[in-house]
Amino acid sequence: MDYEFAFGEVFANADLLLRGIWLTAALWLIAFATALVAGLFLGIARGSTRKALNWVATAYIEVFRNTPVLVQLVWFYYAFPVLTGIQMSAFTAASLGLCLNTSAYCAEIYRGGLQSITAGQWEAGRALGMPYWTLMRRIILPQAVRRMVPAFTNRAVELAKMTSIASVITVHELMNEARTLATQSFLPLETFTVVAIIYFVLIWPGTVAASLLERHLAAKGA
Amino acid sequence: MAEVLRIEGLRKSFGALEVLSGIDLSVARGERIAILGSSGSGKSTLLRCVNFMEMPSAGRIVLDGQAVGQETKGSIRYAEKELIRLRTRIGMIFQQFNLFPHMTALQNVAEGPLSVLGLRKTEAEARAAQYLAKVGLTEKADEYPSRLSGGQQQRVAIARALAMEPEMLLFDEPTSSLDPELVGEVLEVILDLSREGRTMLLVTHELGFAYHFATRVLFLHDGRILEQGTPEEVLRHPREERTRAFIGRHSSFAF
Repeated sequence: MDYEFAFGEVFANADLLLRGIWLTAALWLIAFATALVAGLFLGIARGSTRKALNWVATAYIEVFRNTPVLVQLVWFYYAFPVLTGIQMSAFTAASLGLCLNTSAYCAEIYRGGLQSITAGQWEAGRALGMPYWTLMRRIILPQAVRRMVPAFTNRAVELAKMTSIASVITVHELMNEARTLATQSFLPLETFTVVAIIYFVLIWPGTVAASLLERHLAAKGA
Repeated sequence: MAEVLRIEGLRKSFGALEVLSGIDLSVARGERIAILGSSGSGKSTLLRCVNFMEMPSAGRIVLDGQAVGQETKGSIRYAEKELIRLRTRIGMIFQQFNLFPHMTALQNVAEGPLSVLGLRKTEAEARAAQYLAKVGLTEKADEYPSRLSGGQQQRVAIARALAMEPEMLLFDEPTSSLDPELVGEVLEVILDLSREGRTMLLVTHELGFAYHFATRVLFLHDGRILEQGTPEEVLRHPREERTRAFIGRHSSFAF
């Protein structure tokens, strides 16, 4: 293969890619933070013995887990405004879609984690006179979250990669900028190589940090 | 002596199975009651109904002269708030200890005062240190439960219950999951508490301990109190055939 690599032009357009990185990071952070909170309540509802609550949560989770994210984002950006008359910006639609999707997965992680805590812990807290949310916050969640760290890491990594799908609904995140650049420069090979490396450099430290955190929590006992 | 707890017509069913079939009991302040009975007799369930870890199917619990719950048309409704307040006044010690594994011994004991009673952290920890000392575990304050023996864990659990400064203590088979050589240290601590005039209800299989500990012994059979009296009466001179048989089974390997 005697292809002449021309990375120079890709680096010359670094500002374009930097802007993309910024939006990718913003999408990722917003969607993950909101999904962690929404997922907690969904997960509790999913594990609830109240039928209606349980049913609604289950339906939500199954819908979002069993349809492609791509379809969900496109639906929020193109179909949702038709139905409701509310037009969201591409960025809002993407954040919302990614958050709703990830919260469904987080809910299952929370539910599994909460169910792994023995009944004795609930009993000990109740016997001390703890109200439900105190017990949840002080006793159950701190133990459950430790067990959930690996699963949440997977989710975070998965979500970081999923943000690239937002390029389809014209969010100018990294992937979208890369496609623009590749088309303009006629250098798809160089551009996407650089972009792949950027994604790796963005995501990999998170994986490492999570495994360090996991080890730190394990060392603290429990 | 003043009555602190009265149980009237207490029944509890799990599905079709009736575990408690009408328990009446009055407990005076400072009484120490050992509850005996073979497994399935309902003794643990009785204890757990006192602080509403199990909801009674019927009957009434009266604490310090105050009936718990709102009675409407023959059935009693319990507000969660009222039960939560009640549980802060009754300490419970479990067979499986149920310490919080993510907290040190000191944090375990301080947790109730801190997050339930609303004490400041320094006050809660000072109180926790005081009760850890009482169960002889000052030097284990900073250890996590996983590093403690079963006996030490149960002593921490006792300190945790004491730190709420409850009016009454419930012990649910506190030594049943301990290795035989660790039973003694836990029983010593409980015996120490009994000298302070605390009101205590204890479910146990340790007949010898019940004899030394209790001011009154109850023998449960099929969800009813079959026999009760002083340890001398029930354990040495049981009137009922079933009580005799039970005591016989428990001492068949004594030497």
